Amino acid sequence: MRKFPGNNGVDKIKIEKDLLLDQQMLAAENRRILDRFNVKMIDIMGSVGTGKTSLIQQVVKQLKSNYRIVVINGDLDTTIDQERIGSCGVDAYQINTGKECHLDAVTVRGMLKQINLEQTDLILVENVGNLICPVDFPLGAHRRLMVISVTEGPYVARKHPAVFMEMEYVAINKTDLAAVMNVDVGELIRDIKGIRVNARVYPISCRQQGGLGDLATALLEDI
Amino acid sequence: MHEFGITSRIVNTVLQAAAEHKSTQVLEVELLIGRLTFLNPAQVQYSYELLARGTILEGSTLIIEEIEGAVRCMKCQRINSLKLPPQGCYDPFPSFCCPECGGSVEIIQGKECLVKGAKMI
Ligand SMILES: Nc1nc2c(ncn2[C@@H]2O[C@H](COP(=O)(O)OP(=O)(O)O)[C@@H](O)[C@H]2O)c(=O)[nH]1
Ligand SMILES: [Mg+2]
Ligand SMILES: [Zn+2]
Repeated sequence: MRKFPGNNGVDKIKIEKDLLLDQQMLAAENRRILDRFNVKMIDIMGSVGTGKTSLIQQVVKQLKSNYRIVVINGDLDTTIDQERIGSCGVDAYQINTGKECHLDAVTVRGMLKQINLEQTDLILVENVGNLICPVDFPLGAHRRLMVISVTEGPYVARKHPAVFMEMEYVAINKTDLAAVMNVDVGELIRDIKGIRVNARVYPISCRQQGGLGDLATALLEDI
Repeated sequence: MHEFGITSRIVNTVLQAAAEHKSTQVLEVELLIGRLTFLNPAQVQYSYELLARGTILEGSTLIIEEIEGAVRCMKCQRINSLKLPPQGCYDPFPSFCCPECGGSVEIIQGKECLVKGAKMI
């Protein structure tokens, strides 16, 4: 190795490697694979318990006669959600992330290898229950949907602007509980649009099966 | 929250560069973190110290520089920065639209986690 006099043998080297940009490039590779098979993918994010699995069950019910759907469930340790989805009559694959707080493009890539993409139209991914971390890790999905619910209270958007800034699609679930929770859904929508003017926000209730048709239509429009 | 995982990738990146340079000791690492990521610099720093132990990075200094977010208007192409107050909260909201023309914007800066370089022997 070259040692320069006067710098005590210290070399300053350039590395210039962006680890989050790497994630974006890996996600772009996934997207290319999906596009080659003409498969659409939707990444469904949100805290634990906001209703991601319930929403997927409802969306599957609505769409499964027209689309060949596969669901990927990310979860720390169980296969409960995989079984819940399986009972809707579509294939569900489980990724147990162990201790990771998010899915990433490489893990999803591994799943894409297992799925028969030629026989698939739509992949719904349930990300790990976490409002924040998945945002930094794109998977290559054509749509990213954030699911929040009125049970987290009225301030969830206002308290996490950096999350909602990046979300084009947001579902506000459990609107059947809005009155009990003392949450004004209209105000929540205004908060979200205050952070991102062009956000598309859909109030839904998986329990009462409300608003899900509009949401599904919007997600698939021009996809 | 995912600082530990990301930091282990940072450490591996530097170890690889060090191996290529046949270095025996890394003294300093320069990292750039965007303010729109969900990486907490203090936790990256802490994870780094833990992960550097027992490697040629042990005892090295991790210098973290933060960079503000910036957005470009998709309508008029103007670029505006999203300045965060020091405590890391937006007040008031960024409306995430162009302050000049109201158009939709896209993030062009602030999502970095860039290992810029290192000093090594
Ligand atoms: N009242 C009400 N409860 C709901 C609704 N959607 C989901 N839940 C309940 O919320 C809990 C968590 O739902 P789940 O789909 O497992 O959430 P996930 O952790 O985001 O996948 C379950 O007990 C669901 O029955 C809804 O629209 N209204
Ligand atoms: Mg679930
Ligand atoms: Zn503009």
